Amino acid sequence: MRKAKDANAIYWDLGLCVFTVLVALIVQAAPTRLLDGVNIMPTWPLIAIFLWAGLRPSFMPPIVVFAIGLTQDLLTGAPMGVWAMSYLIALAAFRFRGEDGMPRDLPPVLLRFLFMLLLAHTVAYLVGSWALGQMADLMPLIVEATATILMFPLLAFLALRRRRSGRSGFIGG
Amino acid sequence: MASRRSSRQESDESAGFSPTLFIVLLVISTVLTIFDRPADRSDAFGSFRAGFTDIVAPILELAAQPIRGVKGIGPYFRNQGDLARENAEMREELIAARGWVELAERQRDQIEIYEAALNVETPEQRPLIRAWTVADSSGPFVHARLIGSGRNVGIANGYPVVNDYGLVGRIFETGRRSARILLLTDINSRIPVMADRSNARAIMVGDNSDYPRLDYVGRIPDIVEGDRIVTSGDDGVLPRGLPIGEAVPTRDGGWRIQLFSSQAPVDFVYVWPFDRIVGPEADVAKVPDMPVENSAAEPESDPVSDSVSDSGLVADVGAEPAGDASGDVPLEARPSGSGENARTDGETTTVPEDGE
Repeated sequence: MRKAKDANAIYWDLGLCVFTVLVALIVQAAPTRLLDGVNIMPTWPLIAIFLWAGLRPSFMPPIVVFAIGLTQDLLTGAPMGVWAMSYLIALAAFRFRGEDGMPRDLPPVLLRFLFMLLLAHTVAYLVGSWALGQMADLMPLIVEATATILMFPLLAFLALRRRRSGRSGFIGG
Repeated sequence: MASRRSSRQESDESAGFSPTLFIVLLVISTVLTIFDRPADRSDAFGSFRAGFTDIVAPILELAAQPIRGVKGIGPYFRNQGDLARENAEMREELIAARGWVELAERQRDQIEIYEAALNVETPEQRPLIRAWTVADSSGPFVHARLIGSGRNVGIANGYPVVNDYGLVGRIFETGRRSARILLLTDINSRIPVMADRSNARAIMVGDNSDYPRLDYVGRIPDIVEGDRIVTSGDDGVLPRGLPIGEAVPTRDGGWRIQLFSSQAPVDFVYVWPFDRIVGPEADVAKVPDMPVENSAAEPESDPVSDSVSDSGLVADVGAEPAGDASGDVPLEARPSGSGENARTDGETTTVPEDGE
């Protein structure tokens, strides 16, 4: 009985994971600048990758991270491989290791995400500049990173809250 | 040490993170980045990108609908107080516009008479193609917009894109049902322009700022603040006279452009199906004495056997001084590997403006 409930929880989480990643990618590319005053956009796919890699590491193997990055490259018109590579490197460096996965407290999660964000954007900037043949515009990346840092705590809080309330769906939950 | 490493590896693999796969994907990413560089992107990569956007364009179009639905709410409430003044201004503008319409119609009639007298065949202008933007990618690497129409409605690479106010950019990636516009502000954008008042030539260079700068303006440019900047058509890729913006001086003595098209967010656009002007080699062949920079294109001994009107047009073109007007900003002088034309078409041509 409990096994069946666990299986259900996994499918629900898988569906939620796919949904949130797709929404993150679409919102990242959507013409939100049409809205009055909305000129900044957090790096939604990175937030999705980080949180799901912490909640359900098996949902975020390298191939999925690569696919997300590549899709973002194609949607935004960036040279292929730029975001794919940066997400892969950032996740490899700062993913949650061990059986317990993501800790239950917010501060260490925020700190780890901050490092991951900085690494991802640095790699993207360097690789993208190399691909363009000239230094890319740094300001949009800084603005995007700032918006991501400001937006992340709320989503991380919701994810941790869900994790605490989950019965056995999440690793260590 | 070894056992610690292996236990860590096992832990990684149990969590779904395979180091081998990670390295393989890293290599693939590197290879993709190398071969998808905008400067030397192959047709296969371009087709793949266009095919991908074809698939996702309907989804993005769907996602853009709610945004489009609420985009006017902010300006609506903000402008309520100004409605009376705005209404009065628009009435005045409408009266002034009537005068311009009459003038345009008179001039059109006059041009028709001249064309009939000179036996000039003006190519028929195709109607503009209307399209909605479905994706907005103004990140650090590219300033572009994706539109939900492509080859299925006749859009092709290089076509200029305008909105209600002026030139927005050019098509640089075309799929069957989608196309990508390279905005004027993009770091790869290079557009030959001129001041409408003085015909002073320059190249407008995007640098990801909201105000593209003017390069190659000459030592003493005949440009003043507020000059209306339009396309010069010197590249033969864009038509002449498309409104771009106003000249704004910078502190360092340079010039930038305040774009007309940035008066409103780029949402609904018109694609201008402007066919690239054929290089002058074919026309040059008719006039043996015409000075030609490229000696390989010079005719051997073709006599002038065409009508007066044809030779007259070509002679005018040839009579232009090399350093003036169209020749002041040689396209060959562009920074290598950064030209938009080189990116879209792979070649640049110096085409006289009368060719349009």
